[in-house]
Amino acid sequence: FTEMPTDNFVESSFWNFDALFQPQQHPARDQHDTFFLQDPAEAPELPAGYTAKVKKVHSQGGYGSQGYKYEWRLEEARRNLLRTHTTSASARVLYRLARQEKFSPVKYFSIDRVFRNESLDATHLAEFHQVEGVVADRGLTLGHLMGTLQQFFTKLGITQLRFKPAYNPYTEPSMEVFSYHEGLKKWVEVGNSGIFRP
Amino acid sequence: DEEFDELCFEFGLELDEVTSEKDIISKEKGEEKAKGASDTVLYKIDVPANRYDLLCLEGLVRGLQVFKERINLPRYEKIIPAQGEGQRLIITEETVQVRPHAVAAVLRNITFTKDRYDSFIDLQEKLHQNICRRRALVAIGTHDLDTISGPFTFTAKPPSEIKFKPLNQSQEYTASQIMDLYRTDSHLRHYLHLIENKPLYPVIYDSNGVVLSMPPIINGDHTKISVNTRNVFIECTGTDITKAKIVLDVIVTMFSEYCEKPFSVEAAEVVYPNGKTHIYPELAYRKEKVKPELINKKIGISETPSGLAKLLTRMCLKSHVIGNGNNIEIEIPPTRADIIHACDIVEDAAIAYGYNNIQMTIPKTYTIANQLPLNKLTELLRLDLAAAGFTEALTFALCSQEDIADKLGMDISATKAVRIANPKTAEFQVARTTLLPGLLKTIAANRKMPLPLKLFEISDIVVKDPSADVGARNYRHFCAVYYNKSPGFEIIHGLLDRVMQLLEVPPNEENGYTIKATEGSAFFPGRCAEIFAKGQSIGKLGVLHPDVITKFELTMPCSALEINIEPFI
Repeated sequence: FTEMPTDNFVESSFWNFDALFQPQQHPARDQHDTFFLQDPAEAPELPAGYTAKVKKVHSQGGYGSQGYKYEWRLEEARRNLLRTHTTSASARVLYRLARQEKFSPVKYFSIDRVFRNESLDATHLAEFHQVEGVVADRGLTLGHLMGTLQQFFTKLGITQLRFKPAYNPYTEPSMEVFSYHEGLKKWVEVGNSGIFRP
Repeated sequence: DEEFDELCFEFGLELDEVTSEKDIISKEKGEEKAKGASDTVLYKIDVPANRYDLLCLEGLVRGLQVFKERINLPRYEKIIPAQGEGQRLIITEETVQVRPHAVAAVLRNITFTKDRYDSFIDLQEKLHQNICRRRALVAIGTHDLDTISGPFTFTAKPPSEIKFKPLNQSQEYTASQIMDLYRTDSHLRHYLHLIENKPLYPVIYDSNGVVLSMPPIINGDHTKISVNTRNVFIECTGTDITKAKIVLDVIVTMFSEYCEKPFSVEAAEVVYPNGKTHIYPELAYRKEKVKPELINKKIGISETPSGLAKLLTRMCLKSHVIGNGNNIEIEIPPTRADIIHACDIVEDAAIAYGYNNIQMTIPKTYTIANQLPLNKLTELLRLDLAAAGFTEALTFALCSQEDIADKLGMDISATKAVRIANPKTAEFQVARTTLLPGLLKTIAANRKMPLPLKLFEISDIVVKDPSADVGARNYRHFCAVYYNKSPGFEIIHGLLDRVMQLLEVPPNEENGYTIKATEGSAFFPGRCAEIFAKGQSIGKLGVLHPDVITKFELTMPCSALEINIEPFI
């Protein structure tokens, strides 16, 4: 797995949410409890052609999807924030991959800091690290995803895994990964995953 | 309980907690207050954000029963009354400025019990919070149809002209008085701003001038529904027509179960300002065709087409095989507004199959991997810095304005710092532009440790940069501090030399690094130097100024070094 560049804590709503099909007015966006920026408040530059495509898919649909059918606003996508997940970096990398002349399969990973506007307590911080992995190739299945996750967690010493249906705006099907914790004597969530929506 | 937990897990719901009213009160207010409270077991269930049909008990139970193949998915029927007999909602053009859209429907001959009534109110609140985005996009009003008579008018009027008795109040108020009345109400005050400053407020009247509601704030007391209500008129008004339609569909599909003719909804006609009419609820059934191979391929299983059709039917997506077995036709009911793409159908098939029944495989993708050069450099340096006797620290990237400016003797405007708009506390006002405050705070928190304290960190700082596509960028900095009875400038200088040695940068001006004496606001006068390498200034080192040391609540001398390591990649 090749390491992705993630050295930007500041991200635009476009890459953090819109390009990942997270609707502009949906609680799922607030769910992340985001740190929005006062200065710089807006991203000066967004990829024009791609932005138009994202706008269309949100408001009218496309690529086989019905879309969300609401008025997508560019100003909302320009709003800067501190990224809430490293998936925004993955989105950038996949965009670059898409613009390559010829498709080549890839495996990417990153481990970096993300920010959520939460009150601190024993199990929550406002900044923490995420490990992210992406595989892009032809003919990938949900079974492949489960197999890859199992191998990954085995290397961390976690072997008992179960998968549960979940929801992410940008993946369908989505799975939460649970592992049995011997000390707590119960199943705990150790990860989230999914197949990116077409 | 375990069985239910297992079922929820398979279906994609989270059984958060098994508790009871007694337990809840006990935890919040103590066991004394809990005496006499109900012991009935309560399940707290987390529902995915895109499944509006599972937000009430009726929908949840229905979904699970279809999943377990105990019942067939009911067919929701729209009954269009004979000409002239149905209810009509007329929208006037004044609403365009404030709340342009409205949809309506009737639940005829419904039987409520206390539980069903509570569930009905509860679902409206949940939808308000969820898809209606706290009533901004859509507001729901439900009314006892027997207390009013149509046709109904949805219009907008100046606040002084609207007067009615709001729900559960004892007297009439004008709209402006209502705004004041609810300004301190813990529940309603959050919605006042949606219409407060508009010249016209939305209002719905019946043919006799009785106010049904003033959306999105409050309904009229006159039309309030009770356990004895038999006919319900539902109206949803808002700024997003797609969501208004979805919300209406959800409410009527869920609660038409209790009508005399179960799962039948009486349609209402909405008349637009331009004269066009539309029948609601839509209750649209959509047909989609998906190839079985697609589903099998995406999941990594090989089910027969009829097997797949059966799986989908269990997920409330009634399907059957068509053609000569090479296609599946799926009927998407109005309760599944979350199905917008074939991949949504694939996920449902996988859930019905059981995620944990899918065979795990490894992709055959062959790739040759690389580490990111910036991170590789960081990793190499970290090891050697630890070997040099310094301890690594990991500190927060967000801090207060004082931390990066005032406490270092600088003005905030000189720092080009990125500023947060909605910090919860002062500790998260800005993103750090230097690693130094973090390390100094770490020392302050570890004063009891034996001296000398030698800390370092290699991590990102953030600054505004107009040339970056988002207007800001990260730089990878390396910072080290030495805290002891004597400042140890020579130790910090030695560390810099060691780092340069590791980076193979010679100590000369032409192609290596040099240091030149300078002044720095955070440093002791005459004990500060700027470091130059690769044709630019990469940082400073020196003895910290006593003011800085005091402001960070420290008491001993301290020397520090901070450089940008990106030029060395």
